[in-house]
Amino acid sequence: MKLREYEAKNVIKEAGIPVPAGFLIRSADELTPHLDALGGAFVLKAQVDVGGRGKAGGILMASRAEGKNTATELFGRQIKGLPVREILAEQRLDIQHEYYLSITVDRSSRQPLILFTEEGGVDIEITAKERPEAIRKAIANPLMRDIPAFMLRELIGTAPKEIGPIINKLYRIFMEKDALLAEINPLVTTPQGVFAADAKLIIDDNALGRQGFKVNRDLTDREREAEKNGFSYVELNGTIGVIGNGAGLTMSTLDLIEFYGGKAANFLDVGGGAESERVMQAVRLVGSVPSVKVIVVNLLGGITKCDEVAKGIIAASIPQKVIVRLAGTNEAEGRTMLLENGYEMLDTMDLVVKKAVEVAA
Amino acid sequence: MIYGDKMTGILVQGATGKQGEFHIGLMNSYARQVGGRGVIAGVTPGKGGKEVHGVPVYNTVKEAMRDHDISASVIFVPASAAADSIMEEANAGIQTIVAITEHIPVHDTMKAVAYAKMEGCTVIGPNCPGLLSPGEVKMGIMPAGLFSRGNVGVISRSGTLTYEVVDELTRAGIGQSTVIGIGGDPVIGQTFVEVLEQFKDDPQTKAVVLIGEVGGNLEEEGARSTDLPIVSYIAGISAPPDKRMGHAGAIVEGGEGDARSKIARLKKMGVPVASRPSEIPAMVRDLFRDHC
Repeated sequence: MKLREYEAKNVIKEAGIPVPAGFLIRSADELTPHLDALGGAFVLKAQVDVGGRGKAGGILMASRAEGKNTATELFGRQIKGLPVREILAEQRLDIQHEYYLSITVDRSSRQPLILFTEEGGVDIEITAKERPEAIRKAIANPLMRDIPAFMLRELIGTAPKEIGPIINKLYRIFMEKDALLAEINPLVTTPQGVFAADAKLIIDDNALGRQGFKVNRDLTDREREAEKNGFSYVELNGTIGVIGNGAGLTMSTLDLIEFYGGKAANFLDVGGGAESERVMQAVRLVGSVPSVKVIVVNLLGGITKCDEVAKGIIAASIPQKVIVRLAGTNEAEGRTMLLENGYEMLDTMDLVVKKAVEVAA
Repeated sequence: MIYGDKMTGILVQGATGKQGEFHIGLMNSYARQVGGRGVIAGVTPGKGGKEVHGVPVYNTVKEAMRDHDISASVIFVPASAAADSIMEEANAGIQTIVAITEHIPVHDTMKAVAYAKMEGCTVIGPNCPGLLSPGEVKMGIMPAGLFSRGNVGVISRSGTLTYEVVDELTRAGIGQSTVIGIGGDPVIGQTFVEVLEQFKDDPQTKAVVLIGEVGGNLEEEGARSTDLPIVSYIAGISAPPDKRMGHAGAIVEGGEGDARSKIARLKKMGVPVASRPSEIPAMVRDLFRDHC
């Protein structure tokens, strides 16, 4: 889960990395008591869960005199379709130089990867493509609490020395908060010292419980329902509903829909050993998507009982056509039940998908 | 076959849990079928002295190791304790650890894998179905009925998609040497590179099917690292960016790890890439015609 900017900055500040003075407001009136601390000119940043919010109009410059009006304007905006409910009002920094710093999990070495460049402020992906030599890298040992001093020296190069301890502090945050990404972009130098001007933290979903972070994502009703049932669910924009077991097989089913010229409405992985109740919930959930004209159920595996799955599909009793491919235990019983109730069961995933694309067309 | 054979003595951690008990039964019925040793000991702290399907259960891995000749293990313990189980086994001297458990926090895996490496042990998974070498050994949860013995190795980040491909291969008369699921998490103990090294040294394996998905670039690293004949399939060509597609590791982040660019890179290396699972058997046959 990606933390909002103000949450990430709170974590970073607690760890001793300087951040600009900032205040979270939930209405324009809440700005007034902070005007003295913010100074003559400051920044208002919408706290919405989308990328590229600056370009989408989510960040406004404000002055002491006009601050409240600017805040009212920002609260009235939609940023990429999301309403603005919280704004971070932040002191403007007198920036001398911008750096980029990030720590991620490197899949290839299976260890923390630290990236630092003295050419911050621009899009890091562009720097990575055009001037890869400008990005310095280090791989840390996850069994060590700190980054060794030599590694910090190698990373910072000619940048100011006080950045070294900041990198190590961010590394500790990364390790202690179960982060998948800890990024400061830009990390800036000012006459008052070094500051994290922006910060991004992504926390491992599997560690949110022990970290005590509250889930703050805006979920649709269907996404909430899916979460309650323990389904992996992603909504897309097509007409063919998809229910599969296992992430790979379900993704592959979506791809096959595209291959045959259809458009999938969703990704739904029911998980292993699906029982009739869960299958029923899944079919009803996907059936409730207004754009869905037909549903493909593609379940395969040793421990999935086909008669249980058939029972669930029949019990869901949704208006749309459900086309089924089942392989596993009690296949014959499942097939009989489905056929007796007027459902179509085909032998391969190519056949079910082809059929569904025809029905949806 | 790689990572184990008929003679491999297997330990199961989490032996008395629902999953552990169920799969000890299936693993040992496979072992009986092929004349292998199968699961010879189980471990669940506090349940020492019990038996599961006739398999003795111990409180600790070291106790089990004292009484039995064990070289591999399969872990079914819940996510909060699974990384600890990996370290306990590595410390006790088990050579090959298969971690089935899903939802282990990535930092736990990262530390456990680093620790296991220090102890000189191999970790497969986590969040994987394990491996099956037809006619030899089953370490994990793969449905044995779909498999047939032969010369094709299969490596995959997925579970059920692997069964789909194995089913296609078997129906087409193409047998497998070892089928291994390396796991759907961002951090896994054995990546394509390491498994391909094992296949390289395995006289039975003549060609490899590499089943990947969106997220990271381990598939390309693997393909680049070997001169074994490979056929690949990458799931997730229709996956939208920044959405996790079921597996914790299946996510296109910062414009990286999307299926189209993966497929393009693989093709550039000369690896044939199937556009759907049902094309794989014919492509494997072409490989055999060209290389063997």
